[in-house]
Formats: sequence, C-alpha cells, structure tokens
Amino acid sequence: MKFSAHPELLELLAASYALGTLRAAARRRFETLAREQAPVRAAALAWQSRLASMAELQQPVAPDPVVWTRIRNLIAAEQQQQAIGRQRIAAAAPAPASVPARGGWLRNLALWRGAAAAGVAAAVIATVVGLRFGEQLRNAPAEQYVAVLSDDSASASMLVTFDPKKQRLLLQRLGSYREDEDKSLQLWALPTGGAPRSLGVLGRDRTLSLPAHEADMRAVPALAVSLEPRGGVPGEGGPTGPVLFKGALIEKTL
Amino acid sequence: MRHNPPMPDSSPDAELMALIDLVGRRDENALRLLYERTSPKLFGLAMRVLRQREWAEDVLQESFLTIWRVAGDYRSTLSPPLAWMGLIVRSRSLDLLRRRSADRAHLTQEFDEQMAETFESSAANPMDTTDASEQAWALHQCLSRLEDGQREVLSLAYLRELSHSELAGQLKLPLGTVKTWIRRGLEKLRSCMQQFT
Repeated sequence: MKFSAHPELLELLAASYALGTLRAAARRRFETLAREQAPVRAAALAWQSRLASMAELQQPVAPDPVVWTRIRNLIAAEQQQQAIGRQRIAAAAPAPASVPARGGWLRNLALWRGAAAAGVAAAVIATVVGLRFGEQLRNAPAEQYVAVLSDDSASASMLVTFDPKKQRLLLQRLGSYREDEDKSLQLWALPTGGAPRSLGVLGRDRTLSLPAHEADMRAVPALAVSLEPRGGVPGEGGPTGPVLFKGALIEKTL
Repeated sequence: MRHNPPMPDSSPDAELMALIDLVGRRDENALRLLYERTSPKLFGLAMRVLRQREWAEDVLQESFLTIWRVAGDYRSTLSPPLAWMGLIVRSRSLDLLRRRSADRAHLTQEFDEQMAETFESSAANPMDTTDASEQAWALHQCLSRLEDGQREVLSLAYLRELSHSELAGQLKLPLGTVKTWIRRGLEKLRSCMQQFT
C-alpha cells in the first residue's frame, strides 16, 4: 500500500493501531507495513506517544497512606539484600562496628539488616494473610512501631509490633527456633548511644504480649533478642548471652 | 471541564524529570517526593482502569517498585515523565486485569456490570491537566472537542485495552454505536492533533 498518496489514511490507521482497536488481521498487516516502511513506523510511534498522555489526564485520587509504607518497606528490603551481597564480596575486610551515617532512610547498615527482613516479612505477610493484613494496617492506630528480628542468615525469626492504644508490645515467633529448657529469650531495646534496656522475657508460646510505653519505643532504632539463663537477666544489667535475633524498629506514621 | 491557561509558566516536566533522574541514582528521598507529586494522578489512572481500590493500590505499589528499578532508563524513552509513569501503571493494571478475569471467568457478567456503572457517570468525568506535559495539553485540547460519548469510548478503549465488542459489552451500547463513535472520534482527533505537530 502506498501511503504517500493517502497521508490521512496512514494517520488514521496508525491512530487505530495505537488505540488498540484494529482487529487482529488488520493489526498484523499494519505491523508488517511498519517494519518495512519507516514513515508507517514513525506514525505508529507518534500515535502511541500521543495516546500515552491519556494517562496524564485522569482525575487524581488520593491513595491510602499505607501504600507508601509498603513501597518503602519493600525497597528497604531490596536495598538491604544488595548491601548484604556487597558485604559478602567485601567479607575479607573486617566489618566496622558501625557504618557512617548516610542520608535518606539508610542510616545505619546494622539497622537496615533488620529493616530488610521487615520489608520481606511485610511482603510475605501481605501475601499470606492478604486482605486481612491490609485491613489491619488500614485500621491501625495513628502511630505504630514494627520490627522484624532476624538471625545471622537474615531469615525472619520474630515479629514485634507495638500497639499504642493498648500500650502493649506483641511478639510473634516466626521461625522454628526453640530455646533449651534451662534458657529464656529476652527482648532488648537498643537505644542510640545508650545501654540495652530490657523490654521483657519471652515465654514458650508462639505469641506474647508485653506491657510497654510509647516512650520506650521512641529513639530506639533497633531491638534484639538474646539467649539468657531461664527467667532472663534481672535488674539493670545488660544481656549476658549471645544475641540471636535483631532488627530495626520502624515507626510507621499511617 | 476546567479551563486552565493554555500553557503553565514553567513546565512541570522539568521537575519530575529531575526527580526521576535522582531516583535512578537510588535517592530514596527523591522517590518519596516523586510519589507525593504523582501518586494521586497515577492512582486515579489505576482506579479508572481497575475500578477497585485494593487492586489499584497493589498496582500503584508495583508500579513504584518498577519505577525505582528502571528510573535510570527513563531518559532514553524520550517520553514526558508523567506519561512514562502512566504507561507503567497502565501496563501493570492491564496485567492485573488479565489475571483477575482469568481467575474469575464465571464472574464476567458481574464484572462487566461493575465496569458499566462507570459510563453512567462518565459525563461528569472531567479530564485533569495537573502536571500534564505539553503533549498531554495537546491531547486534552483535542479530546475536549469530541462529544462525550466519543471521548469516553476512546479513553476506555485505550486505558482498558478493549475491543469494539468488549466496549459495547461494558458500556451496554450497541456495537454499531461504539464503532461509529470510535471512527468519528479518531477522525476528529487525527485532524485536531495535526495542528500540534
């Protein structure tokens, strides 16, 4: 077909093609022509581009703020996985105790080790529990903290959420870890520049609810769980046993 | 329909492009700003394609993760920034629509009815030129000159990737009417868009 004699026909065909309303046979014929003749191809691309702006003209609708929280968590998880990858590559060098502060959300590598798991766990939970989780988030109180504590291999082992309405910390064991009979797991807040502060000792159940104040959660970038003698470490002393799980405490403003 | 001044003083494209460039360099704050600037628009688009809040939220989330990953390639697409993001949202929305309609083939009837309801209110479905590129301004000018029905079938044919008969089904219109509106609408659009090239 000679379009040079029928420029309007070409435009119309290209517009129909870009709109997607050409029937299958006509579509294939047009695609063949476009591959053979540059002006046909150019017309199709121009119309695809013009119609793409249809997307720009839609009425705005405000999305639920939880969508951004989900995006942020997932990206933090992705970043973290890449950081772990880099860390493994640079494993020969001794790991610094702390990494210099960076801008944005990436304040501290150790901190983000947990945040990664938080993102992953958020994704997993969203997949597994689906709508119910979305509902919970939608109905969540104005301010909430969440942490996913993971072990050395970065697998999520414990989910910690803070409910400011009830002033309680909710702990949920995710992995298969079970402490020996003569041991207890103890949860610690790791405040910036301060000594670890005990938040409570875990029982044997998969879930546990501990009383806590919102003040306990503020300015705490991370939580950790250590393995202690049965009953935990009493008084003001810090952890005595190995830290099994840790992770960032993320404040979610919904 | 709102009548905005024909061209804003400074194009919002430049700002959005700068943000996308920063996102391409893994700047999380730029991503947040980009989200704040564009998510209502993109969510509106996803809602228009999907008519389902939860689905549209899933699509918005997926789309921004995609934008985060591919922002570095944006410049080479030569697209206006919002149109580029819109393409991502539309294609994710259509993917989801295809998955869902395969999942629930038995609910097609119900699904069509849900979609049909949108046409009733479509006359009151004004276009919005906030943050629109120059190219979108041209399209807006030309779409404004179409009759409501023509504009609506063209928009839905494109945004939901519908054939003539699917449009007729969803909009509860005779097939002949849909074909006529599309043909006339496209013809008017073609002659109008010529002015802008």
